[in-house]
Amino acid sequence: MRYGALSDIRVVDLTHFIAGPYATKLLADYGAEVIKVEPPRGEGGRKLGPFRANGGHQPDRGGLFAYLNTNKLGITLNLKERAGRDAILRLLNDADLMVENFAPGTLAKLGLPAEELLAKFPKLSIVSISNFGQDGPDRDAVLNDLTLFARGGWTYPVGEVDREPLTPPGSLAQYMGGLFGAIAAMQAVLGRKLSNHPGQHIDISLLEATVATMIYETVTFQYVGVTRERAGKRFAVGPFLIVTLKCRDGYAGLQCVTDKQFEALCGLMDHPELVRDARFATALQRMVNNDALLKIVEEFFLQHDRAWLYREGQARAIPMVPIPSVAEVLEWEQTKVRGFFETIDDPELGGIRIPGASLRFSSHRPAPARPAPRLGEHNRDILEARLGLRLSEATV
Amino acid sequence: MTTILNRKIRVLDLSMGWAGPLLGAMLAEMGAEVIKVEDTQFFDWWRGSLSVAPPEMQPIERAPTFNTVNRGKLGVTLDLNHPRGIELVKRLVATADVLVENYSPGVMKRFGLDWEVLQPLNPRLIMISMPSFGYGGPETESRGYGNTVEAMAGVTGLTRYHDAEQPYTLSNALGDPTSGLTGTFGVLAALNERESTGKGQWIELAQVEGVIPFLAGPIIEYQLTGQVPRPQGNRNREYAPHGIYRCAGENAFIAIAAATEDQWSALASALNLSSDARFASAVSRKQNEDALDAELNRVFSALSLEDALARLQPAGVYAAPVNSAAAVLGDAQISDRGYFVAVDRAVVGTHLYPGAVPRFSQTPLKADDPAPLLGEHNGDVFRRLLGMTEAELAELEAAGIIGTAPRQYSKAS
Repeated sequence: MRYGALSDIRVVDLTHFIAGPYATKLLADYGAEVIKVEPPRGEGGRKLGPFRANGGHQPDRGGLFAYLNTNKLGITLNLKERAGRDAILRLLNDADLMVENFAPGTLAKLGLPAEELLAKFPKLSIVSISNFGQDGPDRDAVLNDLTLFARGGWTYPVGEVDREPLTPPGSLAQYMGGLFGAIAAMQAVLGRKLSNHPGQHIDISLLEATVATMIYETVTFQYVGVTRERAGKRFAVGPFLIVTLKCRDGYAGLQCVTDKQFEALCGLMDHPELVRDARFATALQRMVNNDALLKIVEEFFLQHDRAWLYREGQARAIPMVPIPSVAEVLEWEQTKVRGFFETIDDPELGGIRIPGASLRFSSHRPAPARPAPRLGEHNRDILEARLGLRLSEATV
Repeated sequence: MTTILNRKIRVLDLSMGWAGPLLGAMLAEMGAEVIKVEDTQFFDWWRGSLSVAPPEMQPIERAPTFNTVNRGKLGVTLDLNHPRGIELVKRLVATADVLVENYSPGVMKRFGLDWEVLQPLNPRLIMISMPSFGYGGPETESRGYGNTVEAMAGVTGLTRYHDAEQPYTLSNALGDPTSGLTGTFGVLAALNERESTGKGQWIELAQVEGVIPFLAGPIIEYQLTGQVPRPQGNRNREYAPHGIYRCAGENAFIAIAAATEDQWSALASALNLSSDARFASAVSRKQNEDALDAELNRVFSALSLEDALARLQPAGVYAAPVNSAAAVLGDAQISDRGYFVAVDRAVVGTHLYPGAVPRFSQTPLKADDPAPLLGEHNGDVFRRLLGMTEAELAELEAAGIIGTAPRQYSKAS
């Protein structure tokens, strides 16, 4: 879906893979004109998949690319060629933002150092997203999802007590980095509009974005001197019960934090006497006797279905949830009624349902999303018609 | 110091917990004037419980998480269950640019503070609401927290070891920071739009819909292949090794991966692995992954984490410590860039807090102002913005509409 809040903003997008494209996707989905510039053979994100099983021909994009690049215009330029760089400079002339997530130092190597671009184009701000930031001893080290989660502190408290810690799934922290990128882009634009600040270079480290979104531990550790350790199926051992438990037809989650919720849970379990049980009467006692409490709740969950637990929990204001698969999320009545997933007719992958706009603005009715661009799809519109360039095959 | 917003934007933050308050704190970092409005009885639940310590210990001023996500704000109190408290919120709304709330659907309406009421008071107002599952749909009234939102978005179901069924909740209540950041972006986009239209608007962010996009990959994979993606745990679907291994010493774990042949050779030579036909090619390493993991566990169990990292990181292998909180604070890259900032906060003293993530070349974000004490800025805010006199302030305090101590204390005495 596409909203119009950013329709006056122009973005030159040099990003690839996930974090950078998610940042510029947010800008594009809310109305900015985003011109995605790819090398002539396409950016690496096109190959990330997922692809159709037995799909026959190799499409020029996988499903993730199709999602991360909706509402963008796509052109190709070889930035190692002078003519390619000149074309970028022409585009920057009209741009409010340039977003990139090359390895640090790459822009300068390409002859497009940030300081020079800022000096040349006073309106322009540049958002750089990188693994570790633009400086520091590990600036040039390699990083992937597994090591990013681990180093940023998300992994340490998760998993069985007697096993190795368990990493979070997928590329969640890269999306966080993308969110920070989109925020920084808007901060720069508003600084210019509201306070007349010049264009700026903004440096975003994925590692710091990961640490920033894991605040429980770093500050709490300093206050109380204790590190949260792995607590198995429990979120932590504390004056609450936050846990994922086996039930009759799968797994369900429970978040029992307040006295009121505990009382309601005891009622639901048909054990109202537990509220006055000396082991559980206060939050502090529930922490000390957390194992005993867990055992009681575990047995209760085993006797019931996910749907029953969810319904009965909600009726008593106890947050209990089924643990759905992504297939169930896609078919969840709530997302259907709200029209959250949007079907796009992707020119390569066909009709697929993608997550729609998370933010709903009262000022606009959203327009349907434009599918991600085919490789070089808008070369003619942008490079030839708009800029009047005739580029050689070596350049596009 | 010059900031991005130079106090040109005023924000009323009626939210609690993490998601909404994070949004307010992000705007405060930019130099917005952010006024956190709390009820003296139903104060922000992230302050914790009064029952853990006697009043003179000020237990609700000692919550590390509250003190983190409310930095840079002014703090006022108002009795939101009293018509006079609601009236004062409305007068503040008339002076504000942005209102942030993350109550369950229906609560703002019960207060008489829903969008239909507030919008006519201030046509330039931007209001953002962040319910768990959204306004509309069968789950409108359902309860959710960061962890339950994370589960309903599908994240928990994907968080399992490769060889077991039990799912795990992530360590950071993913729904909260995701919503706080997504909401921040939304408010900034609406401020941009207001520059051309002159009008505010209402933004709705269902927290679960903020998290689902992070799973776009598996959601699309399910549609293209007809298979529900299988959780991989610490492994990678394509290649091995990719895992977390125990090193010598207590609670010392290393995360490593070797995606390419070059990385594998570098890893094998850095660890002095003897050549083994089972691990000779990418295909055979993946086929014999259990044996490979066993071998790596054997090798790492004899190495300290520091030694293992010193061998692998310079060799270009993916390698990282599984950092505890203390280790994150001491991480060389993080501290070299001065990421954590020292903040002196009343009652608790000086600690390091996570700094602002975007680093601006000209107008740095400001993350080193403390979180407010309960009602700390009542006098300043109500005098300056609403023109109240000392007599009016004293009268409101006597009537229990405003205050600096939890109302429970005055009831008890």
